[in-house]
Amino acid sequence: MVGLSVGEKHFIQGGIAQDLRSDGRKRLTYRPIYVETGVIPQAHGSARVRLGATDVIASVKAELGKPSALQPDKGKIAIYVDCSPTAAPMFEGRGGEELSTELSVALQRCLLGGKSGAGAGIDPTSLVVVEGKVCWDLYIDGLVISSDGNLLDALAAAIKAALSNTGIPKVDVAVETRSDEQPEVNISDEEFLQFDTSGIPVIVTLTKVGRHYIVDATSEEESQMSSAVSISVNRKGHICGLTKRGGVGLDPSIILDMISVAKHVSEQLINKLDSEIAAAEASEEES
Amino acid sequence: MEYVSPEGLRLDGRRPMEMRQLRAEIGTVAKANGSAVFEMGNTKVIAAVYGPREVQNRSQQINDQALVRCEYSMANFSTGDRMRKPKGDRRSTEISLVIRQTMEACILTHLMPRSQIDIFVQVLQADGGTRSACINAATLALADAGIPMRDIVTSCSAGYLNSTPLLDLNYIEDSAGGPDVTVGILPKLDKVTLLQMDAKLPVDIFETVMGLAIEGCKAIANYIREVLLENTKQLEYRRGL
Repeated sequence: MVGLSVGEKHFIQGGIAQDLRSDGRKRLTYRPIYVETGVIPQAHGSARVRLGATDVIASVKAELGKPSALQPDKGKIAIYVDCSPTAAPMFEGRGGEELSTELSVALQRCLLGGKSGAGAGIDPTSLVVVEGKVCWDLYIDGLVISSDGNLLDALAAAIKAALSNTGIPKVDVAVETRSDEQPEVNISDEEFLQFDTSGIPVIVTLTKVGRHYIVDATSEEESQMSSAVSISVNRKGHICGLTKRGGVGLDPSIILDMISVAKHVSEQLINKLDSEIAAAEASEEES
Repeated sequence: MEYVSPEGLRLDGRRPMEMRQLRAEIGTVAKANGSAVFEMGNTKVIAAVYGPREVQNRSQQINDQALVRCEYSMANFSTGDRMRKPKGDRRSTEISLVIRQTMEACILTHLMPRSQIDIFVQVLQADGGTRSACINAATLALADAGIPMRDIVTSCSAGYLNSTPLLDLNYIEDSAGGPDVTVGILPKLDKVTLLQMDAKLPVDIFETVMGLAIEGCKAIANYIREVLLENTKQLEYRRGL
């Protein structure tokens, strides 16, 4: 994918070992992050996040549906990611499918909690309109427009921003007639409900290159990685999900070390992201 | 349904011969050789160009000219209702082909033998006229990539509803079932490279509708030229000339 000469590889690895990377960052510094909300007016909520040359869009669409019989008190949330061929010619046709699926599953694992819905970033019970009858189904779509490494962190940030931007129409339920009938609902187009997004975690990916690990790797740095661990951490510092990629094995003590570093890094990231989202919302309201 | 009010205003408040607001931005995908965003009202597309580069699939190599490829894709969230179509359905295959043929007509392919140029267009929001918007975006992206072209290609659509010719149809007008004429022209050479119409129209009306679409193309060409000029000025400024 990335064509690098032996010299360039040594330069990247040497830079990481000396805590001064090719773009002048330290090992645990993120690239500047830019957030723009409301980019897709047709969706209920949307956001575009840029992290260096990585550029992703997330949109949230809500549809009224029926909760599953097993979990009548919970709405459904689905996350899909698509890699646009504009990001890299290798995503052409079905070429991006593998990466798209890998990213979707990793995001679902990190943001939606387990099968029971416990530990999810958004409370699925808040999506229910009438228990067992009507609920909101949330479809979260991510689109990778430009890719320069660290897609997972960028997508998670975009989804967090899009959900903060989301307004679900208020629903009035008509007085119920019989218990076995579908109740009639009235969707308001003036009143919107906002989600509580404070519990949505951010994802911090630590990429191991040589003997050290770095955050927010560019695609050149990712091509030199031995393995990577993506850890999702919420505001309280709880670990919400974890994914390890890459073939090379890691020492268990290193993983624990990585988790504590990720926890530390996530505090700064959440604060930065929250202030960026607030700024984006403010500038959207102005225009 | 009434698409043009008695006062002569359309559903979105435009006059019949008025175009939606245009906006273009060059260089939005950092890793591509050339890229652009093009917006016509609510329709928004991104185009990225990779190349000219080595041919990936040797059997497709052409010895006396460049191979031009194009892929059109729509984002899941681009339409009003969420779309769950697989990639490569017939509609997108057809649009890919149309865009490829239109762009191939203006690229000087004989200057780059044994190489490949990839054009990827991604629809972020669809509100009618995606075909035209994609072609306009692709032109800008090709120009940004510095690929030699005969002329820029611009495209615009026009329709005929309530016995009025309408320029630049939006989604509601497009799905009204009336004729929809999409024209692509080379404005400097004054040649038509793309012409598509569905539904039927008397010949004399077709002439006025097509004339209207060509006027639209010319207006877009002026805008695109302005954007390119502005972009070149920026580049010049950055080089410190």
